[in-house]
Amino acid sequence: MIFVTGPLFAGKREYICSALGWTEEDLARRAIWDVQDLAADAPDLEALAQDLSRHEVVIATEIGGGVVPTDPAQRQAREAAGRLSCLLAQRARRVIRVVCGLPQAMKGELL
Amino acid sequence: MLTLVIGGSASGKSEYAEAHVCTLPGSRIYLATMEPWDGECRARIARHRAARTHRNFTTIERYRDLEHLPLPPDSNVLLECLSNLLANERYGTPSRQADQVLESLIHLARQCRHLTVVTNEVFSGGTDYEGDTLAYLHQLAWLNRQLARRAERVVEVVCSLPNVLKGEGP
Repeated sequence: MIFVTGPLFAGKREYICSALGWTEEDLARRAIWDVQDLAADAPDLEALAQDLSRHEVVIATEIGGGVVPTDPAQRQAREAAGRLSCLLAQRARRVIRVVCGLPQAMKGELL
Repeated sequence: MLTLVIGGSASGKSEYAEAHVCTLPGSRIYLATMEPWDGECRARIARHRAARTHRNFTTIERYRDLEHLPLPPDSNVLLECLSNLLANERYGTPSRQADQVLESLIHLARQCRHLTVVTNEVFSGGTDYEGDTLAYLHQLAWLNRQLARRAERVVEVVCSLPNVLKGEGP
């Protein structure tokens, strides 16, 4: 599994399509994105990470870089998303971070 | 010697910083700056404590006024975290600002063998904050820059993986 992370609208999906020569249909079939939104309601993050890892490409938007929210539910959601990303990075063969469209290999090589 | 570790919420920065300190020779001190205000703080403290039990840290809880904290000269100190420390100092009595916090950290670094400071990436969520938040962020960012300038090593942690911003190695 390839795990791709980076800020909102950084070009994560475009990078995957361009690096792997995928169409949008390929992407929809072989990848899953916005997985940060699945973390808050997941009873078991390990199980979720394991389940998501069956995709060839898993994409998460980094959402943990703002001021800690005062709302407990938002705070919990952000932390769950951060933990999920750590768990996905552990399981991934490659971890690529995309910032303003530019890929950086965090684990393994660039595609 | 000084190391600065920065990361967002649940980025794995604590785990990375602890593992880094464990590679250094000498005793290990965990300098905890979070005041246990409520159940959530206490649960967080308990979780961090449990996660580092196997790493043989001596925990010292100290919320402010670090320049008067005596430390063994051979110690490797992990300060967790700078954002709490600044908030404690700034909103405590007497209120102290970032320049005084920096002085206390420099004093701390001189006393021990190696100081590792964990700080928070809290600067990517926009600027629409109420009250004093922006002024606090400004001071925290200034402290981060001051420490990064003095540090031998600065590492950003992203989904538990290191992005080395200054220095060598993983």
